[in-house]
Amino acid sequence: MNTADRLLGTLIWVLAVLAIAGVTHIVTILTLPAFASKDIYAWIGELAKPAQLGVEPHAQPGSQLVPFADPAIVQAVCPFDLSQGGLRLHADVEGDRFLSLSFHTPQGKLFYALTDLAAREGRIDIVVLTAQQLEAVEADDDEENPSQDLRLLPPTLRGFVFINALADVLGEREEAERRVRSVSCGLEPIVEE
Amino acid sequence: MSRGASVPYGRGRWTAAILLGKYLSAAAAGIVLGLILTWFVIDRKKGFGSIAAGPWTSFSRIGATDVEPYSRAILAYYGETPLSESQAISFISYVDSSGAEFNAACDYALSGEVPPARYWTLTLYSPEGALVANPANRYGFTSNEILRNAEGQFEITIAPHARPGNWLPSGGASRFVLVLRLYDSDLSVASGTIEAAKMPVLVKGSCE
Repeated sequence: MNTADRLLGTLIWVLAVLAIAGVTHIVTILTLPAFASKDIYAWIGELAKPAQLGVEPHAQPGSQLVPFADPAIVQAVCPFDLSQGGLRLHADVEGDRFLSLSFHTPQGKLFYALTDLAAREGRIDIVVLTAQQLEAVEADDDEENPSQDLRLLPPTLRGFVFINALADVLGEREEAERRVRSVSCGLEPIVEE
Repeated sequence: MSRGASVPYGRGRWTAAILLGKYLSAAAAGIVLGLILTWFVIDRKKGFGSIAAGPWTSFSRIGATDVEPYSRAILAYYGETPLSESQAISFISYVDSSGAEFNAACDYALSGEVPPARYWTLTLYSPEGALVANPANRYGFTSNEILRNAEGQFEITIAPHARPGNWLPSGGASRFVLVLRLYDSDLSVASGTIEAAKMPVLVKGSCE
């Protein structure tokens, strides 16, 4: 075996290593969410039942529900299960205080989000529905007096909504918690024809 | 005449063993290298979705509806529930403005500009995202509670022991990271670049 053969052999070996490294890397990155996300959101079920609001405990050293939680944010969660009916959310927006709602699938994937800046006349009204429930609701719509509700069709039957308020000053947590608790989340009865 | 025929039987087996060794070593080295690469991406929260500006890295595409695989893996690993991009843009820093990793025995001064936002918050964590216990019970600052000078400028001192002004305790952490969040900011990370000059600088001070 001469030097050129040896070099070629080494080059092929290095290329093989790189190819296998690439495949390993891609496979682990792609499969990690499936392995890791199973229990991530298990705590949500313990905090609140579907169509009920549960306020997360204050993020403090040693008692954090999630890593990298912002201690200035008070967060509540409202899970939904559309097999039991639609979900209605209502929030009254006060002045210039930050309030946000984000809508997620059970795996945590975001499908809709808005802040208090999107409120109309100080109100946020959202109904989360399936396509069949939407049809039933639209059949009942009054054309003279159109509904002001924002209607959302999630990609999954179940999921959860996060409600966030920001405490201006870290000590003013109670005030932010009161604003989060003032958001109502409940079952929207829908008569399907 | 085929090559194999000229090689004695024993040497043929030997060659096969070497070849098998080469395949196995390539596979093992490849898998290890691939895992190291994945670990690095997850540990440092790097990926194609990240944007660097000075010592800061944004991984805020994580909150978008079309999350790319790297951000999805990072998100799943840490179990975070991030706010969407329309609500908050997050920047994380592991290093000071000279590029040196944070040392909890040292003081750091954070000053300069923060991109325009309705609110911003600065929080100190362990690299795993845990809040760091300290006697002052202070884990961060919000834009509305920091002390500013007459020109509206501010400086936050990250230090293990109490400092006058805006003191953010690094507590007993051996390593720490800083996260800057901009709430309702007009800043767009979708373009993929942010000027480092528009982000706060982190200057190392004295060490214990």
